[in-house]
Amino acid sequence: MRASPTLADGFPDLSQMQIAREIHWRRWLAAAAIVVVLAAIARAFANGQIEWSYVSRFLTAKVILQGIVNTMVMAVLAMALGIVLGVVAAIMRLSPNPVLKSVAAGYTWLFRGTPLILQLLLWFNLALVFPTIGIPGLWTARAVDVMTPFLAALLGLGINQGAYTSEVMRAGMLSVDAGQYEAAQAIGMGRLRALRRIILPQAMRVVIPPLGNEFIGMVKATSLASVIQYPEVLHNAENIYYANSRVIELLIVAGCWYLLVVSILTPLQMLLERHFARGTARIIR
Amino acid sequence: MTRLSLLLGLAVLVAATSVRAAELPAEIKQAGTLKLTVNSTYAPMEYRDPATNELVGLDIDLANELAKRLGVKIVWSETPFAELIPSLQTKRADFIISGIQDRSSRRETADFIDYLTTGPQFFVMAESVAKIATDLCGKKVGTTRSTAFPLEIEKWSKQNCEAAGKPAIQYVPGENSIDVRNQLKQGRIDAAVQGSETLPYAQQQEAGRYRVIGEQLSTGYQGIMFRKDDAALREVVTEHLAVMIADGSYKRILDKFGLGANAVEKPMMNAAPQ
Repeated sequence: MRASPTLADGFPDLSQMQIAREIHWRRWLAAAAIVVVLAAIARAFANGQIEWSYVSRFLTAKVILQGIVNTMVMAVLAMALGIVLGVVAAIMRLSPNPVLKSVAAGYTWLFRGTPLILQLLLWFNLALVFPTIGIPGLWTARAVDVMTPFLAALLGLGINQGAYTSEVMRAGMLSVDAGQYEAAQAIGMGRLRALRRIILPQAMRVVIPPLGNEFIGMVKATSLASVIQYPEVLHNAENIYYANSRVIELLIVAGCWYLLVVSILTPLQMLLERHFARGTARIIR
Repeated sequence: MTRLSLLLGLAVLVAATSVRAAELPAEIKQAGTLKLTVNSTYAPMEYRDPATNELVGLDIDLANELAKRLGVKIVWSETPFAELIPSLQTKRADFIISGIQDRSSRRETADFIDYLTTGPQFFVMAESVAKIATDLCGKKVGTTRSTAFPLEIEKWSKQNCEAAGKPAIQYVPGENSIDVRNQLKQGRIDAAVQGSETLPYAQQQEAGRYRVIGEQLSTGYQGIMFRKDDAALREVVTEHLAVMIADGSYKRILDKFGLGANAVEKPMMNAAPQ
């Protein structure tokens, strides 16, 4: 073996030596195994009892597009209702007034304590309890005319969401340093004004990631409204396969749309986070 | 010479026995069990007894009687109505006997052995103003959306309402028979449609609440659904069903559920007119 050249100070000069590449054979094996499994799954889907022509035909069918529009309309409106109710409930929950406090706690308990699908069925069948609803002396209507599948779904999803959002909001408000309340009080702000001007804007930064999470959950929770005949995308896909028996094909169609919507929402959440993080020294991404 | 005739005779005998009785597929025979899947929301065809939570109904009794004669046990499972056909395709079920109507659109994926007459039937609340079926033109009529009834209503409306210059029936979807009757009670819909074989039971459960209106929209058959490539099992079941019809055990089961009038004379394959 040839001796390697030495440097002036007597250490061997390694700068010209090749760095031996380690073969990560376990890593390669794991990757290969995963690729094989994925390929097998892909092959099963390609050769299974799936008629892909139905998938491509119905992917842009009018009924499906209308369904995804209805899904998004419901998700946005129910989430908006949920946020409004959640903010109000969170403020009530943090209020010194024991009545407001316990009503807010009771609301969270009731609507978080029962399954969403049960609540939807209750709203839809409300006319069995209240045949007519209205304002005494002014206006009355048959409950079934008011409680359409749309409204039943909106109330069911929105009020349920409010119960969850109130906890997210409360966490956000608690995350703002107590010194901020005190400073606001010191310059003579009332509680509500301090909340609106000082606390909530700072809380937003903290609540956006969990709210984004909840909204993505909401997009998919709207599918539960299919049982009360709200024509969202799963309901419409089901109607098609009730008629033509292409179950897997139509489920794949609906699945593609949900995935697309969620893929669009994720970067939107990032933008929103960036917006509410303005003015903070640490921007963690 | 005698040896040849003996052989021939033996061959004839073998052929004759194999023609006489169809055999259960080896898989089922070996396991000694029949896997059956039902949608138990369709009283009195198949439902869970509210007191005992047992699976009961006309289809259940028929299947049990069949299994007894085949010398096998049944392993029951349940699924939503729309998943019945996939259950058959994925072999979760050996065959399907679950109040499913023989329809040409369903024959793409399965063969039907028809065993009971049926047909969609209008009914209203007892106090409804509707007297005859055409009073329902332009009104809201609900039915289970996973069934073939929405199409039947549309067809009937075209022939009886629109052809006579009346407004078409407005179809309102429902999730299952119970949901549809709930919508009827609340006044969401003016009338409902259910298979005629389920109405005696519903009327018995809520005596005097409903009134049947008009004739059946169409006449068809309930069928036992088999995979197209499963002719062996289909033949065994058909044979035993024919025997059950002949010896009166079939009629006894139908009578138990007040559906003696829906009996068929013999099992028929893919026989429902569309």
